[in-house]
Amino acid sequence: MDPLSASLKIAGSGMETQATRLRIVSENIANARSTGDTPGADPYRRKTLTFGNELDRATGVTLATVKKFGIDKSKFTEEYDPGNPAADERGIVKMPNVNVLIEMADMREANRSYEANLQTIKQTRDLISATLDLLKATQ
Amino acid sequence: MIINPISAIGAARNIGTGLIEGLADGGKAQALTPGNQTGLTFGEVMGDMAAKAVSDLKGAEAASFAGIKGTMSTREVVDAVLQGEQSLQTAISLRDKLVSAFLDITKMQI
Amino acid sequence: MQPIQLFDLASRQAAWLSARQEVVSTNIANANTPKYVAKDVTPFQAVMERTAMPVRMARTNPGHMADASQLSDDVDVVKARLDQEIGVQESGNTVGLAEELSKTGEIKRQFELNSALVKSFHRMMMLAVRK
Repeated sequence: MDPLSASLKIAGSGMETQATRLRIVSENIANARSTGDTPGADPYRRKTLTFGNELDRATGVTLATVKKFGIDKSKFTEEYDPGNPAADERGIVKMPNVNVLIEMADMREANRSYEANLQTIKQTRDLISATLDLLKATQ
Repeated sequence: MIINPISAIGAARNIGTGLIEGLADGGKAQALTPGNQTGLTFGEVMGDMAAKAVSDLKGAEAASFAGIKGTMSTREVVDAVLQGEQSLQTAISLRDKLVSAFLDITKMQI
Repeated sequence: MQPIQLFDLASRQAAWLSARQEVVSTNIANANTPKYVAKDVTPFQAVMERTAMPVRMARTNPGHMADASQLSDDVDVVKARLDQEIGVQESGNTVGLAEELSKTGEIKRQFELNSALVKSFHRMMMLAVRK
């Protein structure tokens, strides 16, 4: 496939993966304080995702993809809150293993990568345009 | 044999003095000094030029098909079309010179 | 140097630049892929001497299909020079976004110069063969 057309597809796939990453980060942030319903129940578990590559058979281009979604298996934090529905007999509530600061940093990174991919698409489009411009040379 | 279009027009203007530069395969220019017998007649220059124009145009057409189908990169198609344009323009100019030279001859006093 | 040779050289450079753009795009898209090593292409100087046209990327992965754009071995995809600020991250990824974006700017500059030159010389050729 024409390298410039391939670049468009690749950057597009990069944007898609970063958008998915942003979605996961948003879910984590939104659920940073979501506890369980019943006493001693587990709260929201932080979600993760892993990036990978995939060969697009039709065009022979290696695209960026989300290889798999995962769960962060680290320990839950504990808070003393006896009035909470999820409090166990000692009054301890298990809180999600989400660190909002880390999620915010991740979000900034995802934004930066998204912008970089967008920049690539714009640039590739300009290069193709410059090539076609050659044909418009005045006689 | 590929002929430099600019020099071919120059040759048309200097029929008989023959400063013709031939481009061999691989693009190495070999300049010949004026007055040197090259063995190339103007007729051969014309013929070669016309043949080059036709083959370049065919190449441009084939490249356009490939470009539309997606099997050739954009730049290659553009290059082929530009090449076709150049060869065609050269051939047309040569033809015009030939025609005007012929008309000059017919207008000569006997 | 004859203008005809210029067109040929410009076409080679354009093909090399396109190949480089694809590699840089791949780097940027994989900025967060674990174990992904940033790539680049062989310098243009080395490619310039080869006679085969058009210039295309080598098949680097046996899993790649024999696609039109990956058949010749004129332009090799190699490991990029390590970006000193980023180095090798914990995940094994070595892509530095700033470095890749500056490569992007460089590609754009060279490409636009290339097409501007071809455009001018084509126009000059057309004028020269006119009456």
